[in-house]
Amino acid sequence: MSLEPAELLRRLSASLRADIGPAVADEYARTQAFMASVILERVSRQLELGPAHARAEDAEMVALVDALGPVLAGAPPAVSSALLDVGNHHTVASLGPLLEQLYAWGSAEPRVIEALGLIRPTLRKDIDRKMAVAE
Amino acid sequence: MSDELLSVLTPYLAERLEADGEVVVDQLDRIAVGWSHETWLFDASWMAKGEPRSQGFCLRRDPGNALLRQMSDLGEQFKVLRCLEATDVPAPEVYFYEEAPAVLGAPALLMEKVAGVCPSPWGKAGREFYAAAAARGVLPLSFTESLAAIHNADWRAVGLDFLGVPELGDAFARREIAKWRLLIEQSGHPGHPILADLIGWLEANAPSTDRLTLVHGAFRTGNVLIADDRVSAVLDWELQVIGDPMYDVAYMLTELNREGTDLLSNVVPRDVFFDRYESATGITIDEDRCRYYQLLYAMRSAAFWMSAAGLFADGANRDLRLARTEWSVSVALERAAKELGY
Repeated sequence: MSLEPAELLRRLSASLRADIGPAVADEYARTQAFMASVILERVSRQLELGPAHARAEDAEMVALVDALGPVLAGAPPAVSSALLDVGNHHTVASLGPLLEQLYAWGSAEPRVIEALGLIRPTLRKDIDRKMAVAE
Repeated sequence: MSDELLSVLTPYLAERLEADGEVVVDQLDRIAVGWSHETWLFDASWMAKGEPRSQGFCLRRDPGNALLRQMSDLGEQFKVLRCLEATDVPAPEVYFYEEAPAVLGAPALLMEKVAGVCPSPWGKAGREFYAAAAARGVLPLSFTESLAAIHNADWRAVGLDFLGVPELGDAFARREIAKWRLLIEQSGHPGHPILADLIGWLEANAPSTDRLTLVHGAFRTGNVLIADDRVSAVLDWELQVIGDPMYDVAYMLTELNREGTDLLSNVVPRDVFFDRYESATGITIDEDRCRYYQLLYAMRSAAFWMSAAGLFADGANRDLRLARTEWSVSVALERAAKELGY
């Protein structure tokens, strides 16, 4: 029988927290043991949730690109180029340059406001997934 | 490490204090590890001109790999504390600054060991300490008056304009955005689009200020020493700027600096703060500007954590608390999204 990596890391984390950390006399080293436990637990969660999170991100980005297309048709070239990159990558990370270009276009521009209204729910879902690991 | 420090500290003190013979250092104790500069407390006793002398000291050293190392220079702290001696701001008296690492093992600052305690507001014991002090009523006033003293300080007269003086208008907010953007870039962290959204919003909505004061930048419980229910010294002079006083007020008002209580910074009732601060400074609190600065603090928090995670990632600092901050970035960004309304 062998353990999945996520489960192995979770058990290492538990051992550091319950057995190893409390046995360390030096305060700094003890803190480091507890921090290692926290980090291993989060990496474990990341491994466990990663595939489902990636699928969700991909589906949301496909839908977002479809929705943004008509809103940003005829936008300044820099915005169109950034949108093209989003369409090519389908990652939440690729929205950063698009957001920069939207703000450069003008935060009071009605189509920028409409685009932000489409992008922000996607960002919310993404940060919620990250918080499922971080908390 | 204390033996290594002791071996350079005692001859250094003997020379600087003009001691007759050696200086005896007692109770050398490091009180903070890793996040910022090293902080050591000790008592020294020596003979000078035939008379016995003793003094408590606080030593801060810059190991060169601490959080905010790019913008928290001990030489600047020394100059700020020296300037503050001519004001009503309760702060430690500073004695010596040694820039050359060879002298004390790293650039170092020696100052007065001020009497008082500094309970962490993030733990149960600290929260109980501040709640009890709030109920007695003296500390909330002293805490508020200390912030007022910072904002009332005649910064130009005491020479604090060396910190850089923004023009009136929105220059202060824009300068802060640029400062934290630089830290983010230097961190090497990939970032997140929420940060692009936040920075875009901050730049599009930068508020105007018509009054500049000395701004502490991190005025909260945990960054002040308390003795007999009064602030005996404001500490952590690492983020001070000349700028909009609402930047500090926003930090007082933020929920980030209190846990499970309505008391501002865990210790001041809101109405007491507004009343005492406004009467002591003549400044009317602008809650709209404070809300803007709370979003700027979200950017600053993200920049802090990205910088901290970057220090670990690039091998500059092995402290695992820095590695853990990788996930604190998400927490800061989640808060930013909420503040932006999503």
